[in-house]
Amino acid sequence: MKPPAFSYARPTSLEEALLMLSENGPDARILAGGQSLIPMLSLRLARPALLVDLARIPALDGIELGNDSVSISCMVRESQAERSEALLRRIPILRDTLPLIGHEAIRNRGTLVGSLCHADPAAELPAVALALDAVVIARSSAGGTRRIAARDFFLGPYTTSLREDELVTAVELADRPWQGACFLEVSRRRGDFAMAGLAAFLTLEGGAIRRLRLSFCATGDRPTLWTEEDLQVGGLDLDDGVVEHLARVTSTALEPIADVHGSASYKKQLAAVLVRRGLRLAQSRARAGATAEPSGAR
Amino acid sequence: MPHEEKALYGPDERVEIQLSVNGTPRRGAAQPRRTLADFLRDELQLTGTHLGCEHGVCGACTVMVDGDPVRSCLMLAVQAHGREVVTIEGLAGDGTMGPLQEAMWEEHSFQCGFCTPGMLIQLSHLLQSNPTPNETEVRDSISGNLCRCTGYESIVRGAMAAAKRLSDAD
Amino acid sequence: MPTEADAVPGHRPAPVGERFTGSSVKRMEDPSLLTGRAFFVADARLPGMLHASFVRSPLPHARVLSVDVSRALAAPGVVAVLDGPQMAKLAAPHGVTGELGQAEDGPAFSILATDKVRLVGDPVVLVVAEDRYLAEDACDLVEVDYEDLPPLVTAEQALAPGAALVFDSLQGNLVSAGERQEFGDVAKAFSRADLVVSAEIRQHRHQNVPMEGRGIVASFDKESGSLLVNAATQGVNTTRTALAEQLGLPLDKVRVQAFDIGGSFGLKFGASREEVAVCAASMMLARPVAWIEDRYENLSASGQAREESFRAQAAVTREGLVLGLTVEMLIDAGAYPGLAAMVVPTVREMVPGPYRMEALAFQATVAATNKASYVAYRGPWASETFLRERLMDLIAGELRVEPLELRLRNVAQRGQNPLRMVTGPSLAGLTTKESLERMAELVDLADFRRRQRSALEQGRHLGIGFATFIEPAPGPRALDKPPDPEEMEHVRVSLEEDGRLLVFTAQMPHGQGHRTTLAQIAADQFGVGLSQVTVVVGDTESAPPGFGTGGSRSATMTGGATLHAARRLRAKVLEVAGQLVDVSPDRLEIRDGQVFRAGMPTGLLTVAEVARAAKDGSRLPDGVDRDLEETAVFDGGEGGWSGGTHCAQVEVDRETGQVEVLRYLVVEDCGELINPAVVEGQIRGGVAQGIGAVLLERSVYDDTGQFLSGTLMDYLLPTAHDIPPIEIHHLQSVLLDQDVNFRGVGEGGMIAAPAAVCNAIADALAPLGVEIKEQHLPPTRILELIARAQG
Repeated sequence: MKPPAFSYARPTSLEEALLMLSENGPDARILAGGQSLIPMLSLRLARPALLVDLARIPALDGIELGNDSVSISCMVRESQAERSEALLRRIPILRDTLPLIGHEAIRNRGTLVGSLCHADPAAELPAVALALDAVVIARSSAGGTRRIAARDFFLGPYTTSLREDELVTAVELADRPWQGACFLEVSRRRGDFAMAGLAAFLTLEGGAIRRLRLSFCATGDRPTLWTEEDLQVGGLDLDDGVVEHLARVTSTALEPIADVHGSASYKKQLAAVLVRRGLRLAQSRARAGATAEPSGAR
Repeated sequence: MPHEEKALYGPDERVEIQLSVNGTPRRGAAQPRRTLADFLRDELQLTGTHLGCEHGVCGACTVMVDGDPVRSCLMLAVQAHGREVVTIEGLAGDGTMGPLQEAMWEEHSFQCGFCTPGMLIQLSHLLQSNPTPNETEVRDSISGNLCRCTGYESIVRGAMAAAKRLSDAD
Repeated sequence: MPTEADAVPGHRPAPVGERFTGSSVKRMEDPSLLTGRAFFVADARLPGMLHASFVRSPLPHARVLSVDVSRALAAPGVVAVLDGPQMAKLAAPHGVTGELGQAEDGPAFSILATDKVRLVGDPVVLVVAEDRYLAEDACDLVEVDYEDLPPLVTAEQALAPGAALVFDSLQGNLVSAGERQEFGDVAKAFSRADLVVSAEIRQHRHQNVPMEGRGIVASFDKESGSLLVNAATQGVNTTRTALAEQLGLPLDKVRVQAFDIGGSFGLKFGASREEVAVCAASMMLARPVAWIEDRYENLSASGQAREESFRAQAAVTREGLVLGLTVEMLIDAGAYPGLAAMVVPTVREMVPGPYRMEALAFQATVAATNKASYVAYRGPWASETFLRERLMDLIAGELRVEPLELRLRNVAQRGQNPLRMVTGPSLAGLTTKESLERMAELVDLADFRRRQRSALEQGRHLGIGFATFIEPAPGPRALDKPPDPEEMEHVRVSLEEDGRLLVFTAQMPHGQGHRTTLAQIAADQFGVGLSQVTVVVGDTESAPPGFGTGGSRSATMTGGATLHAARRLRAKVLEVAGQLVDVSPDRLEIRDGQVFRAGMPTGLLTVAEVARAAKDGSRLPDGVDRDLEETAVFDGGEGGWSGGTHCAQVEVDRETGQVEVLRYLVVEDCGELINPAVVEGQIRGGVAQGIGAVLLERSVYDDTGQFLSGTLMDYLLPTAHDIPPIEIHHLQSVLLDQDVNFRGVGEGGMIAAPAAVCNAIADALAPLGVEIKEQHLPPTRILELIARAQG
């Protein structure tokens, strides 16, 4: 189980990296954290001719806190984000989400942007990015900068709308305040990919739903998002009936893919459970005004 | 470290790698595709780091890079250029045992010993960052390190005993 | 508790347990493991060493039409590329074990596939190159043309009339169709029954997955015609015999060494097809060749275990007495069937377990399929315990009796006559009843039931499950034949001139700590400090006869042999010492490596001095035995059962199907403990594998025979979060031997845990009407079962 041969580049500027991508097209792959790419190489599921390592390019590991969004550069490791109290205060759902990604040794290398670009349908961060109206900043030497909305970014399993010559330099997450948010998932073991995961965001007005987002992972070929408008529940009290309605409507519409860990119908059932539990947790956090409490998968 | 870095290396080219391993400057060369684990084991003859799955799940190959535990099977040797690496051989000096190893010996923490290098690296990092962990924190720390022999209880006990030794020594 | 009357008349508790034996001394194995200085097979670096990699079948069943290795041969660093027919000229077909091996026209297991591939992962071509990376590159260049054949994915498919054949010479894919055998009066038992409880119970396919896969480094020396092998093996002697036979070498031209082994659990015995191929390549090239199995190879091709199903009927009285059983067993033996048929007699014999049932009818069928071959995995026969213990709970459910109570009503007890299983074996020393009673004290069932009821009112499903078992460790003497020394573990003990006591054994520790436990016994028996004893393992040049580490034999058989050999050597040394100091040997003793006049504080001379004088001989009269070496065997004595009762307490999340093991208890009797920490490590490790089997681990094939669990993201091993602390309580044993009452404990955890966990889950889900008749219960399956029960 050894990687096949490939050329290796470690450019020292973004321009140089972009040029390499444009020259090598589909034969080149970007190496950021490598936690998804290297296993695929070792299993020989990927056979790129060239790896372009971003590690020597300065200033790609920044977290910028803007007025209404935060920008996370492409070499920000998951563990770095986990330790950034400023980031976690701005995007509290990451407090729930990041610890669910693999294990400490994986998060010490893995990057947030890398997880988005890998577009594993079971990964947590794409679902969060989708719900937070993320914008992926893609650069290419020919086309300059392209801002791709998350809803246009994830096309299917391991498939994004990135062009072969494009490199994602950062992702911007919209920082609209939510009263209560949480990320819940059910996985076989701690640290495994989710069999179903849900990012839930809620803002209430006198007990009624003012804004709502439910974003699922592992329940289809890409993350799936619903808003209060899609679901037509704006202004409704978040009572048992509405929770049940939301669980039913969303889980019925999902089309999960069966695998060795669970049947499609099992994953749909999990999605419904996660909606019930996620809404209740988001609701209690909204009421407490504390969205920062950590919560586990179970 | 003075060295000349090229921007591009061919697939068969041996890339020069300079790094610090267990506090000692080391140099070697490896094709771009060679993993850090294989580089440590084959090129630097540090076979204490074990390969249990080569796809990043079992944790046996965990080493410290710049102070953080990482999977050496999920890192290329070329990525370790200029970094500081610590392996099981470097946890204590000269084949001696430090407090963590002593405690784990005392507690019969391991059986076959194959997962041991990764467990020790992970736990030594835990005890550095959290000198008084509780059992759940110990289990969290090693949740990505598989052991097939012990059922983990003896490993957890060893880590707790090591924490106690270390805090008693302070 | 056992009474005096149970013990052997005149049993002396001493000298066992005087100093080291019985204490959790630190392991001799650990310092090198803890500092990265251990030596595993993958750590071998020999001058000129080459690396092997295999081209493996991507298909479950296909004819090999052509193999083109030309591009591979031309690839950089490639030294040799061997296909099936070429390999067949270098090595005989793989040793086929069991009934098949005796069949005249039985199937031949070629080392590499020749005419056909029979499973995903079947080795087709061996590539030898300067480096593993290059070897794998060349494997990618080998072109194999296959013609698909119908895959046989289940035993039922394989046995269906007109099914394709895995081997042309194996008619109907029938490896073994055992005749129905009856023990006791089955018809009478069923005629007396008030009710008959029937169940079909399935045991899923899972596997060993040691953290270190298989591996071998073979170095053939052309000059001497001898083969030196460094192997990850559970027994160097058995590996040597297998290699010599298949490579056509005389035994004395094969030397097998083994060093640190990264676990095995039954997998690494003898020589696998890949290992034979690597040796053949080394012989052809006259260079060292290494093969280190990677995880995909390990999961797909090293072998898998116990895919078995049972149709059982129990004849039961109204009071809950199980009078008799009928059992039909079906085994899916995989593609190269050998061991599967060999476990049948053990399963058959063990089905009654510690229960008093008076009749059993048993029949087993073994089928070949296009899946990985059946291998031994920790308690290879263990599905009998799963069957019986699940059945006991199903019966308890029918009768509305507490499962623990039902077991107490049925368990055999010392004092009963005859005290034996209906299948024959003696149950001397049985402490199952005590283990059940002790467990009842520990868990407070009434309190649990109260908590369970109040949890249920809040929609939470708690469950408690018990399983009781006995483990032949090594089992009682066979009634019908005297012990055969050739089948035993020999131990040779010698005193060196530097005063070290060397203990030679064919045991091959791979986690069990024999370098420590056998030293504890030898040190106590001989009278030296622990640091003065070296247990020598892992080399056919020095190993006495013995098959190696497996079958929970080492504690009793090797421990017993060590005890007797060390004790005899001690007598011999005292004899020599007596001559040297002119004192009668019976007035001398050895303590801390010195010879003392009995009871005196000052030593007369050291054992090293005795050894040197014996070697020199000039100070000794003629006729004194100066050969300070002794060999002993021990057949296990009258006893031989380990056993006990496990209890699992779980919570099942009925919405997600997730199971949490809240508490796990073990009451265990494995005789006298040599090293309690080692014993408890074996128990905990076994329980962890049992919990894994139920909640996480399954070797998966789809309907077309494709293998779906080829990574550790698919085949899930338990992590530190999945295994709770395991509370162990040791039971006072019945001592049946004057000297040796150690018993094996390697397999019991794995044997009992799956039934305990499944019984607990069944208990938790009983209010929903769920019945559990299978062992593997991942969350997706639990929700399926709930949905089915709820209609």
